[in-house]
Amino acid sequence: MTVQMIFLAFFGGAALWFGVVVFRTHSMVRSALALLFSQTAIGAMFLVMQAEFLGVLQIMMMATEMSVMAIFMVMFMMDPGGMGKMDMTHQKRLSLWAGGIGLLAALLLVWLPDWGPVALSVPGAHEQAADLGRELLGRSMFIFQSAGLTILTAMIAATMVAIVPNAEQRK
Amino acid sequence: MILELMIALSVGAGLFGVGLYGALSQTNLVMIVMGVELILAAALVNLVAFWRYLHPDEPAGQMFVLIVMAVMAVEMAVAFGIAIARFRVRGSVEMEEARELKG
Repeated sequence: MTVQMIFLAFFGGAALWFGVVVFRTHSMVRSALALLFSQTAIGAMFLVMQAEFLGVLQIMMMATEMSVMAIFMVMFMMDPGGMGKMDMTHQKRLSLWAGGIGLLAALLLVWLPDWGPVALSVPGAHEQAADLGRELLGRSMFIFQSAGLTILTAMIAATMVAIVPNAEQRK
Repeated sequence: MILELMIALSVGAGLFGVGLYGALSQTNLVMIVMGVELILAAALVNLVAFWRYLHPDEPAGQMFVLIVMAVMAVEMAVAFGIAIARFRVRGSVEMEEARELKG
């Protein structure tokens, strides 16, 4: 058992545990924080897998994203603290079955195939970043630019949808 | 090393199952978005594991991760735009009360 394996299992277990907590707590703020911890644990997994740039990016991006989510939760919920213990679920049995079958199918796909030889070493962090930069501004330039344009379109669309006046304001 | 790959992929499978349960079972729009975020996080874990253990010399694997992160940001921006619009009109983001959206 290697050190990498121990850390991967630890952070993977933490990501899964906090992922489950997201849907088990009655408090919306706790849900957002649990998702933040889950995504941070995933970022730590990236660091363990020696993807330094992606790990740091994941932790920074998700910290911001989940903080925004927590603010939205407080804005939209009548009971963001979950003091009333309101049940906010429906079709629970169907969802459990779908989640369980999805999990089993994914596990089968993971454990059954032969993945072939596994790489023992990875390029250093500096080399990885340089290679990724060359990839983004070379072969994958079109895809990268499309992603940027998509984000810009989504920002404008989301703002337009959010500020559209309702029927009373139009009068 | 193959065991590390299996652990990472199994975590991805677990996150996918939990996210699918969440996206289907929750009635609040923001909670549904959280379920979708977990499903996309599962994809991220798998992509990084494939890059690290199968093709570490191929930077396209890391590029794919960046694209999925962009998809996560876009999905959240659009979902919150819809949530704000819905909240202004109906005062709630409960999807049980949005049956008129059903096609």
